[in-house]
Amino acid sequence: MTTIDLATTPRRHARDAIVAIGLAAVLLVAAAGGSIRKQGDEMRPGLLRDVVRAVGAPAGWVADRLPIHEVVHDTTAFLSPDANLSGGKGAFGGGAISVARGAGAAIPAISADDFDLSAIGAAPKPTRKLRTLLVTGDSLPMPLDSILARRLSSKGVKTTRDPHVGTGLSKSELLDWGKLSVRQAKTQPDAVVVFIGANEGFDMHTAVGKRVVCCGIDWAVEYATRARAMMSVYRRGGAGRVYWLTVPTPRDSARAEVERLVNQSLTVAAAPYRAQVHVLDTVPILTPGDHFRTAMTIGDRQRIVREPDGIHLNDTGSGIAADLVVEALRKDFVLP
Amino acid sequence: MVFPSIEFAIFFPIVLVLSWALMPRHAQWKAFAIVASYAFYAAANWKFCFLLGAVTLLNHGGAVLVHRSDDDRRRKHIVAATVTLDLLLLGVFKYYGFFVEDVNGLLDHVGLSLPLPVAQIALPVGISFFTFQAITYIVDVYRRLVEPASLVDAAVYLSFFPHLVAGPIVRASEFIPQLAKPRNPSRVALGAAMTLIVAGLVKKVGIADTLAREIVDPVFAVPEQYGTWDVLLAGYAYAAQIYCDFSGYTDMAIGLALLMGFRFPQNFDRPYRAASFREFWRRWHMTLSRFLRDYLYIPLGGNRGSRWFMVRNLMLTMLLGGLWHGAAITFVIWGGLHGLYLVAERALEWLGTRRPNVWVRRLIVFHGVVLAWVLFRSSSLDVAGTFIGRLAHPAAAQLWSPLVLALVIGVLAVQLAPERPLARLRIRFESLQPAMLGAALAVTVLVVAATVSSQGVPPFIYFRF
Repeated sequence: MTTIDLATTPRRHARDAIVAIGLAAVLLVAAAGGSIRKQGDEMRPGLLRDVVRAVGAPAGWVADRLPIHEVVHDTTAFLSPDANLSGGKGAFGGGAISVARGAGAAIPAISADDFDLSAIGAAPKPTRKLRTLLVTGDSLPMPLDSILARRLSSKGVKTTRDPHVGTGLSKSELLDWGKLSVRQAKTQPDAVVVFIGANEGFDMHTAVGKRVVCCGIDWAVEYATRARAMMSVYRRGGAGRVYWLTVPTPRDSARAEVERLVNQSLTVAAAPYRAQVHVLDTVPILTPGDHFRTAMTIGDRQRIVREPDGIHLNDTGSGIAADLVVEALRKDFVLP
Repeated sequence: MVFPSIEFAIFFPIVLVLSWALMPRHAQWKAFAIVASYAFYAAANWKFCFLLGAVTLLNHGGAVLVHRSDDDRRRKHIVAATVTLDLLLLGVFKYYGFFVEDVNGLLDHVGLSLPLPVAQIALPVGISFFTFQAITYIVDVYRRLVEPASLVDAAVYLSFFPHLVAGPIVRASEFIPQLAKPRNPSRVALGAAMTLIVAGLVKKVGIADTLAREIVDPVFAVPEQYGTWDVLLAGYAYAAQIYCDFSGYTDMAIGLALLMGFRFPQNFDRPYRAASFREFWRRWHMTLSRFLRDYLYIPLGGNRGSRWFMVRNLMLTMLLGGLWHGAAITFVIWGGLHGLYLVAERALEWLGTRRPNVWVRRLIVFHGVVLAWVLFRSSSLDVAGTFIGRLAHPAAAQLWSPLVLALVIGVLAVQLAPERPLARLRIRFESLQPAMLGAALAVTVLVVAATVSSQGVPPFIYFRF
């Protein structure tokens, strides 16, 4: 920016400033009112969300009745850095994932995939080298992803980091993890590390359009169904291995309640694939007794393991989570 | 609440209308400005509003006491105590977590098992900025550059939302006089304000965030996975990113203030065209540079005394300037490196060395700055070391793309280009009719919004400081 010369710049009346800003606001409502409504729906409950929703509802209504949104979308679509990964209400996976939702009354057959072979001492010695690793999730795998990538780089492992900040399995309108997991699995990583759950607790719609409100058993069933669909995609019929970390207890008690349900859902979701999908429980290590703690004893010293937000792990905490992942990887792969 | 967000897009038009509606009733306007600013701050974390209030009361109380006293020693003691308390607050909130583990280790080492509680304290957004502004207030009153304001004026000054969370660091002597009478509604620099807001949006959302996503973040996270070409471009790209991110924020802050009738000091002046490190610091984060000069370097003794004394003052100023940015050793070394650059520059002057061509000097300064940015951006010294080491590992470029190259070259070219054609373009934009300016803002928002990934607009880099 060149230096603004306030001595010579044209001066106008404040009313003109209000007109300019007002006109910009009107044009934005007409062209992107739907986005305001969508953003309001994806925000955490609170006054700010109420305000955004109060503006978003009429703005969305106006935008729906004008063709401007489509013109703007078509004109600017080439600038978008993402493939279309947003989902509609009730969408998850865009029909790309075939998962038995609510199987019939028949007793499901048990297969070898149901067993964690290492847990029963029947795991063969790993012979396969780990070549490619995908670390994904919301903001939780940051900085776990780079710690793992740096540790494994010297072992010849190519790590892809793909965090999607602010997203969640129960927040599929902005980013549909069902669609994303299908796209990620196309790169055929040997192993996938998933650490997600910082933004959950939103109401979801099931495949048949039924709305499930957080945080009852119906919500947990839908969450587990979504997680299982992703696990199924990542395991690629048994060719891939999945390491899904549970969420350590956060400081905020309302969030902790959601995380308990998320963690329980993961255990349930992984049940049919225990040979390939390992749920790595961080709770006993980082928050024993399901109690939040900022610091823990490492060696003989107290070390801080959480970020000040009371949700995320800091470098030290992420290092502990990375130890857990590497230990699990060693059971399935040869790691020099 | 960040400027490029839907929440702010709802907040600001309402505040702008009410602000001008209340301006003739100046006392009511001030009360409104405080409420609006605290509401803005509360959107991040309402609990920290109490901290902002406490800093305001502390410094205003100190300023009043300093002003009332005629005894120089007493005045000095009051200002020292107030500034110490300011720095103590900053220290507790910003640096406690950084030092506590090391202090406990040291206590254990010397056999004193008196561990300090290991706690992670949340960093209040903007604490470094409003603390420094509070310091300028009490020190300027002590230096008799300004009279103490009323408590209400002091509260407006410290909390005014356009500069609250990431500057520019506006001095009391620059802002408080603007509160003396209502702003003139017929003298709004609308064109300049809209130019700055549009430029800020493009810089932050269109350029800085794209560079971060496409090359900077991947390479700095795991430099081991990349070779010479990617690492080199990532270094240049970070220089472009941090400039666009921070100056983009500042442009928006200055533009928003102008719309409300207030004037903030300039904070950036095309820093990468600097032909010396001294010049770089006169062009980069100018309000911090002059704060460090006037409130640290000169009180330490500045250029007075022997050369060694000056070198000491320079190094101390730059090391503390580095630490101000964050509780990490990488920031301290970044500041130290800039201190060394400045000292080396002075040493060459003392030796009477012949200066090379201005373009050669620009090239040297730019690369010195980029090298220092590597430390600034790296999460640890280990990462910085690996990043620099990878420069010697030739490998096929993975992250080069026409977009990244165009953005990096574009940002640098604009800094080096002659001023006149750019100024002509700016003046033409500033002269547009209000409706055209509004339409231009709307189109800019729609275009830059299309470049935002599904993860939304990342926070400004300087919000962490």
